[in-house]
Amino acid sequence: MSAEVLKYTREQIETLEVAPGAVHENLEGWVPELATEAALKDALEKAFDYRGDVTITTRSGELIEAFVFNRHTGATLADSYVQYFAPGIDGKLKLTYDQIARLEFTGKDRAAGKHWEDWVKAYNERKAAGEKNIALMPDKLD
Amino acid sequence: MAIPISQVWTVVQYVWKQKLTGNKRYPLVLMLEPLFRCNLACAGCGKVQYPPHVLKRMLTPEECFAAVEECGAPMVSIPGGEPLLHPKIVEIVEGLVARKKYIYLCTNALELKRRIHEFTPSKYLTFSVHLDGEREHHDFSVCREGGYDLALEGIKEAVKRGFRVTPNSTFFDGVDPNSVRAYFDEIMSVGVEGMVLSPGYSYDKAPDQNRFLGRARVRKLFRAILSNRKKSWKFNMSPLFLEFLMGDRNYDCTPWGSPAYNIFGWQKPCYLLQDGYAETFKELMETTKWEEYGIGSGNPKCANCMVSCGYEPTAVIDGFLSLKGFWAMVKGNFSSYKDAHALKQLNEWPSHSSTPLVQIAEPAHTLEETNA
Repeated sequence: MSAEVLKYTREQIETLEVAPGAVHENLEGWVPELATEAALKDALEKAFDYRGDVTITTRSGELIEAFVFNRHTGATLADSYVQYFAPGIDGKLKLTYDQIARLEFTGKDRAAGKHWEDWVKAYNERKAAGEKNIALMPDKLD
Repeated sequence: MAIPISQVWTVVQYVWKQKLTGNKRYPLVLMLEPLFRCNLACAGCGKVQYPPHVLKRMLTPEECFAAVEECGAPMVSIPGGEPLLHPKIVEIVEGLVARKKYIYLCTNALELKRRIHEFTPSKYLTFSVHLDGEREHHDFSVCREGGYDLALEGIKEAVKRGFRVTPNSTFFDGVDPNSVRAYFDEIMSVGVEGMVLSPGYSYDKAPDQNRFLGRARVRKLFRAILSNRKKSWKFNMSPLFLEFLMGDRNYDCTPWGSPAYNIFGWQKPCYLLQDGYAETFKELMETTKWEEYGIGSGNPKCANCMVSCGYEPTAVIDGFLSLKGFWAMVKGNFSSYKDAHALKQLNEWPSHSSTPLVQIAEPAHTLEETNA
């Protein structure tokens, strides 16, 4: 939790009728400017939150498709790193911030566009059309 | 309380051992997620939104056993994803039973009837079946017609074969407490050991962010549901945690009480929040900034959370380590929680409708909405 995040008092929390949910940015397709250290750190924080793959270009020119699941921020870019999974490669991989030249949010945002209201609307339409055994199915893995 | 004496005794011994050795932070239940892949696509779920190459990854049985040994908790909950999709889930369960861990295998039970013959009944093994209420409500909640009937078939088969079964329900905004109570009647008649309940939590990563109950509404809902109980209802939970949900108790969160381990590592700080990962359990315990989490921290991500993984450990420790808590727990086991005000609320509850989303700015009295 960063210091600038608004904190609730206990009294405010106890009286919450409805819990405000998170507001998700639409990051799919975003290519952040990495002009400063702060911009790089901010972009990698968003990559950590993102529910899709990103493409990292390293300073040596290598292109890495990655699902970033962890980040550690140290005192310098050299001792800060992301941990990620890459398609077709077993095991966790690690890349220090100072190796990263470019970041693109290339993968599909797996949490986007799946709202309760969408399900209710789709259900009602399919029901009205006479469909039976109506269901949302998980995305195919291949 | 429907929990077997041997399990209660194991937890009592464990908690007292921690106290006597001066250990202030210790886990009670390891949340072991062997995979994130699922055969449902529930709109409220924040656990399965990953790219295919991540969903294909799984913990090996050896990784599961190492995590269990490292953590040392007496109970292991195996959620996911859907654990029955793991090709080595039987080996994982057998290995944990051999280690005398009390396991709650959390499943949507779509595959349970077909797979049940692969498992051996044991006091250490419980099938915790995801059921969010009566047929219509459950099917709508998991976004799959027919899901309830498949789960019920699985439950009946498991009960028939002598397995411990505890239906596990999560309630979101708009749920009708009268329908929930009718579901309790229905599911207890099947012969399950006891029920497990929790309010929904607004996972930061859940696709839908508009269906989550705030604490005031949680208390109102659970007071309507859990007051004036029938004798046939059994709960596989601490009575003190249920009193917390009803607004009778104020507890702080014990985020280290239910640590989570999955393909990414040890999740910081808890099963519900993903603020990073540690490589080892020791690192998780030593490097997590625990003061930044829980209701007392003011962290907005914790503001609406009254979920069992954070607050039931608090209730269990209160019940087993203090005389006052122990006595309240004993009383809770025999009380029907008679409450005329809650009964009136229940009778007046608008059926099949979601109440308007109104936020109370300045209530006249603390916990007024539950008459606590």
